[in-house]
Amino acid sequence: MTIGKLNSSKVPVIVIDKKLEQFRDKVLFPEKLEKANEILSKVGLPMRKK
Amino acid sequence: MNKPKYFYKSEEYFKIFEFVSEGSKGRIKKMVQFTQTGTENVYNLAFGDYDDVTNSINDLSVTNNGDSLKVLATVASTIYAFIEKHPNTWIFATGSTNVRTRLYRMGITNNLVDIKEDFEVYGFTQFGIWEEFVVGEDYEAFLITKKQNIQ
Repeated sequence: MTIGKLNSSKVPVIVIDKKLEQFRDKVLFPEKLEKANEILSKVGLPMRKK
Repeated sequence: MNKPKYFYKSEEYFKIFEFVSEGSKGRIKKMVQFTQTGTENVYNLAFGDYDDVTNSINDLSVTNNGDSLKVLATVASTIYAFIEKHPNTWIFATGSTNVRTRLYRMGITNNLVDIKEDFEVYGFTQFGIWEEFVVGEDYEAFLITKKQNIQ
């Protein structure tokens, strides 16, 4: 990535920490996920624009 | 999105983020997680305080560290990072309490002009339908996705 693209990017430079990999397959917020699935299973996603 | 935010770390897939809130209550470690839902390409966004002693997350605690706007801006930044890596996804978000959901709504409202440059935002109404986010309306949950995903 060029300096110009870095400066204009809305995504900051992020440090990768391998210690965080331990959480990759864990659901840290099960109640929130359950609520999300409840709404999505009933209603799905918004209708797409025509 | 040039609001003050915390520096954060992630793992290579950008599904877990960690940052430290600093304020009147001291240094509080916060985790943000994007979790695959049962709907294809839809991920749930959640964040909370991480306790190193118990190795557990608490998304109900009211930290009152005096930096809620900075925390919200940091979480918003992780959305940009996650979607950059997973551009075809939708992000679902809701608060663990009504107060927190209103806080999310406030965060979206305060940044709506910036957000809508790249994304579409929807709110889940009390009538059980999704609509394009309207400032001032009360929503139970939110969806955000890149504009390319709905055209």
